[in-house]
Parts: sequence; structure tokens; C-alpha cells
Amino acid sequence: MSHKKTKGYYYYPSSSQHIQCSAIIIDEHIQLFDNGACPIVSSSKDACTLESPLPGIAAALCFADGGRFIPDDINFRWPFAHQKHGLAQRLEKNKLLIVASVVFTPILLWLILYRGIPAAAVYSIGLASPSTIEAMGEQSLHVIEKLALAPSELSSDKQAMIQKQWHVMLEQLQLDNEQFRLSFYQSDYFSANAFALPHGRVIVTDELVLLLQDKPDALRAILLHEIGHVEYQHGIRLASQATASTIVLAIIFGDLEGITEVVLGSSSSFLQQAFSRDMEREADKYAIEKLIALGYSNDDFADAIQALQNKLDEQAQLDESWLKYLSTHPSSQERIDFARQYTPQ
Amino acid sequence: MEPTSPSVDPTQTKLPQIISQSRVEFSGKASEFFGIWTVNILLSILTLGIYSAWAKVRTYRYFYSHTRIDGHSFDYLATPIQILKGRILAVVVFITYSLVIQFFPAFGILLAVALFFAMPWIINQGLRFNMRMTRHRNVRFAFAGNYGEAFLNFVVLPIASIFTLYLLLPYALKRIDQYMHENISFGNKPINVNLQGEKYYIAALITIGVTIGGLVIFGIFLGLTGTAIGLGAVDAENIHPSTILFPILIGALYVAFLTLVSAVYQSIIRNHIFNSSEFEDVASFKSDLKAIEYALLLFTNALAIIFTLGLAYPWAKIRAARLLCAATEVTIYSGALAIIDTTEEQQSSFAEEAANVFDIDISLT
Repeated sequence: MSHKKTKGYYYYPSSSQHIQCSAIIIDEHIQLFDNGACPIVSSSKDACTLESPLPGIAAALCFADGGRFIPDDINFRWPFAHQKHGLAQRLEKNKLLIVASVVFTPILLWLILYRGIPAAAVYSIGLASPSTIEAMGEQSLHVIEKLALAPSELSSDKQAMIQKQWHVMLEQLQLDNEQFRLSFYQSDYFSANAFALPHGRVIVTDELVLLLQDKPDALRAILLHEIGHVEYQHGIRLASQATASTIVLAIIFGDLEGITEVVLGSSSSFLQQAFSRDMEREADKYAIEKLIALGYSNDDFADAIQALQNKLDEQAQLDESWLKYLSTHPSSQERIDFARQYTPQ
Repeated sequence: MEPTSPSVDPTQTKLPQIISQSRVEFSGKASEFFGIWTVNILLSILTLGIYSAWAKVRTYRYFYSHTRIDGHSFDYLATPIQILKGRILAVVVFITYSLVIQFFPAFGILLAVALFFAMPWIINQGLRFNMRMTRHRNVRFAFAGNYGEAFLNFVVLPIASIFTLYLLLPYALKRIDQYMHENISFGNKPINVNLQGEKYYIAALITIGVTIGGLVIFGIFLGLTGTAIGLGAVDAENIHPSTILFPILIGALYVAFLTLVSAVYQSIIRNHIFNSSEFEDVASFKSDLKAIEYALLLFTNALAIIFTLGLAYPWAKIRAARLLCAATEVTIYSGALAIIDTTEEQQSSFAEEAANVFDIDISLT
């Protein structure tokens, strides 16, 4: 049994030379003989190393000097290999584990990407000092300002009026008016829109103020929606999640060919947008709840979305039915219906 | 594989003796690789990514070891620890970069400039690592590029091509391929690569032709279905099946179109690179990859991956490797028996990993 011959190739150390030969294990030694039965190499078992076995691949034996013996039979495994040695291969061949992997991988990935990492990001941002977060937010604003914003052309009366409304609201909500600030800008890029930066500054465009000129309650609803984004730390969660999913996808699917990468990349950004839509719903809910709590109507929010949608409809006649998968926001009708039918718990 | 018997022409006795002439063999199996792939992903997730270094080594070893020329396989030599170190560094850099860009955009610009100048070095390190970790017949490959040339080829020329309305782009691409291949050596044997600029211009022209043709067909299709949608949209209450089918069709066409265009370009260039490269007296190459066949493979791979929600990935990888190997013929000459390995010390794969995470694909196949 221990004198069984194993046929294969011997590769000389650091050289492309090789020779057909047979390996024989005699007690603690391995000996290679060429076809004329002349000995080529002899070594103790302990001085040899084995590569971790892979399915369908011959188990190469590496000698201390760099020479290697590769058996012809891909299924041959060295009898002296440790039990632990082939663990990875055994797992990879285990049907039960393969099925379990297929089932649990998506679930675990989802948990990590959409629960674990955003939670970790929110937690770690909580550790950062308020001045750091302030500096981050103001610097982001600075860049957006350069790219897409122009000084507001609203009259100072108008601005003061909305600012007053803002401060009253902050007081009612018992929110820090040092943290939550409101700024006006003119923007062709954003058109009628509002957005919040993570540190608590809310930007409203002139276009939005003009659009909702006759509906101050609707504007308040939108401001509440933006405050909701800040309170739930949506900006940080979205950014951390984008970074994390890039890393996870790169590590797991690191070496994809071009087209598959496009497909995977776009499905990951679809997920990203789904996540963003969930956040919008969360902010919508926040706005509606606060409207009711402050004694206003949940219809204010519906009116605001309706006004924005009317404006969009003027700009473009788009069939939303299939575009909704590409959108970062839920469909307007869905948001309006949600607001109108909202019943406080 | 049928090794042709050595044919020595008496008038040309200077020619090196041919030992074998055969297609590259690939013996990987989708079923085997599926197990490796899924189990490795699960282990990677359960270990919070740490096992992914082991997974990468096992995947690469699987593909390398199943690729054979004249019966001799390739070996992938990187150790998981090397990969792990590289990944940790790459992830740290990437997170830092993303955070800075997100939250301190002004510093982000400085960091982007620093990374811009580091990129040629990162590319070189990645190429060097990959070559050194590749072994055939017990001899390692090597890569000997330098920063200056990498900067010229990967940065200066591509940027210059923008200012020439991309007229210089095929030339820049040729320079990149030339650089990436001419610095390879197999043990002590350097490669000879003679890429021709005109091939790249021809490839570009053919690709543009296919693109324009495709766009015309795409436009006609879009026009036809567009009117159908317009009519269907009148009755908004009834969801017409075409409103669901339409985006799927558009998506499929888009994928098909992209695969066709990239397959056309890639197959022309791949064939040219292989046909213009040789290790003198050691090996010469011939590649006859057919654009249509390759496009069909990439397209069906993409469809299979989408419709199985990723489960077809191992199958797609295996059949792509099989097609590329089958399209490659290698002639081995007698000099192949006397190559000496001249490898220096080991190194981290940080650069290669960084290049991976930053999504610069510089693979050699």
C-alpha cells in the first residue's frame, strides 16, 4: 500500500524543465523515479508542502528547493495530508452548504447593506463632534452653491416672513434654532425644490417659494418634510450605504466583465433608489404627523406635492408607470393619497 | 489537442524547433465552480469580508489551474494574506476618499489630485503583482514597467486625445496595450510585442460603424413602439401589457447593443495583440476570436445572470473562459524547455486591490 506508484510530472526548481516520473512513498520519505527507474528526487514528507486542494485539480507536491511534482490523476490525494487540509474543498463540495449559501447569501447581504451598515454609520456619526458635522455640511453647501445655486432674488420682506414662520415652527417642535437654519437660493438646476443638508440647514429655491406663494401651509409641509430628513439622518445613511455597497459588490463580484458590471451596477443603483424612496416616505410621514400635531391639516402636504406635480406636468408629459423604478421619490399620486388618507394612530 | 509533429524545413534550419502547437485547454466545470463560488461568498459574509481574500485565491487558482497549454497548467501564487492586506488598505483608502468627497469636498479635490498622480504607480503595482503571481511550468512571469511611461500612456495621452476630439484615442489605446504587454517577461525571457496603430484605427472605425448601424435600428424600434405606447397611454386606467414589456425590451436591446459593440472592438484588439506577440524561440500565439460569437456569449451571459438573479454567474464565467481559451492557439518552441525563473521578493497586492475597488479594469485577458 505504501509502495504504490503515482505517475506524474516533476518540475525542476525555478526552471521550465520537467520530466515524466513516478512518486513512491516509502515510510517517511517520498521518492521520484524517472521512467528508467533512476531516482531523481528524494525528500522526507515533512520537508514537502501541499497546496490546499481544489475540486478537479491535481494535488501538487512542493519540495523545499522549489521543485514540484504534479500527479497525472486529478483525483489523487496524498495519504499523509492532514485531516484539516482539505476543509475548504469539502465545504465547497457539500451540497447542503451550497443550498444554504444560495438561500442565506441574499438575506445576509440585505441585512448588512440595508440594516447593519446604515445603523453603524448613524452610530459613528453620533460619535463625531457637532462642529465636525457642521463643517461637513457647510462645505457640502459651499460646493453645491458653486455648482448650482445663485443668490436669492426674493424680496427681504418675503424672506423675513418665511423665516418667521420657520422659527415659530421650530419653537413648536422644540428644535434647536441654532442647528436648523433656512436659506433661500435661486436655482435653474433644481427649479422648484427644497433639500436638507445633514447638519440641519434647509435650502429652499426661489422657484418653490413662488410656486407656493398662495399656499403658505403647503410650504410649511415641505419644510417639515426636509426637517424629517435631518431628524432621521437620511443623508448620512444614504451616503454610507452607497459607499458600503460599492465596497461589498467590488469585493464579492470583483472581476466582472464589462457588461455584467453594467447590469449589476445598475441593479445596485435601483436598490439605492428604492432605499431613497423609503426615506422619502419616512420624511413624508414625519411631515404629516407633525402637521397634525401642530394643529394643521395633513392636506397641506398633499397640496404641496400636487402643486409640484402640476409644475412637472407642465414641463414634461411623462408616463410614470414604468419610470417609477428609476425614480428617487415615490410617485406623486402615491404621496398625495398617503397624505390625504392619513389617520393618526 | 493534437500536437503536430515537428516539421523542419531543410532550407530554413535556423527556425527553432516546434515542440507543440495546440489550442489552450480549459477544463473548469460550472457545477464545480458553483459550489466554490456560493460557499465562498457565504463564508466571506459570515467573516465580515475577511474570508474574501481566501475566496479570491481559490477562485483564481481554480481558473489558472484549469487552463493548460500543451498539458501544463498555470498556477496562481498569491497567498490569501497578501490579498487580505491589499484589500484592507484599499478599503481604508476608498472609505477615506468617499467620506472626504462627501463631507469635505474642498479637501476631496486635493485628495483626488493626489490619487490622480498615484494612479500610474497603482496600475504598475497591480500589473507587476499579477504577473509575478502567475506561473507556468514552474517559471513565473514578471512585469517591468516604470512610472514615467505609465504616466505618459495612462494619463497624458488619453487626456491629450480629448483635445484632439478623440482622434488620438485609438493611438492612445494602442500605447496602453503596448505598454501593458511589452513589459511582460516569462522568467528570463522578455516578450516581443509589435502592435500597429492602424489596427486600432480600423477597430475604432468598425466599432463606430456598428454603433451607428445599431443606433439606426434602435431608433426605428423606439419610434415604432413609442407610437404604440402613446396610443396605449390614452386609457390610463387599463395597464396595457406593453407598458411593462416596453422597458424590458428596451433594456434587453440596450444590453445586446452594448455587448455587440464591445465584443466587436475587444475581439479585433485581442486577436491583434495575441497575433503580434511572441516569446522568441519559446512561444508564439494566435487568436481567432469571432466578434459575433463573443457578442452572443456576452449577451447570453448577461441575460442568464439577470434572469437567475446572479445564480448563473459561475456558469457565465466558465463558458467565457472556455471560449477565450478555445480561440487561442499557442505554438511552443524548443526554447521553452530552458527558461529560468528570476523572481524577486514578494510584495503586497494593495495596488491591484486598490485598482479593483476604484474600478479600473486592467486585466490581461
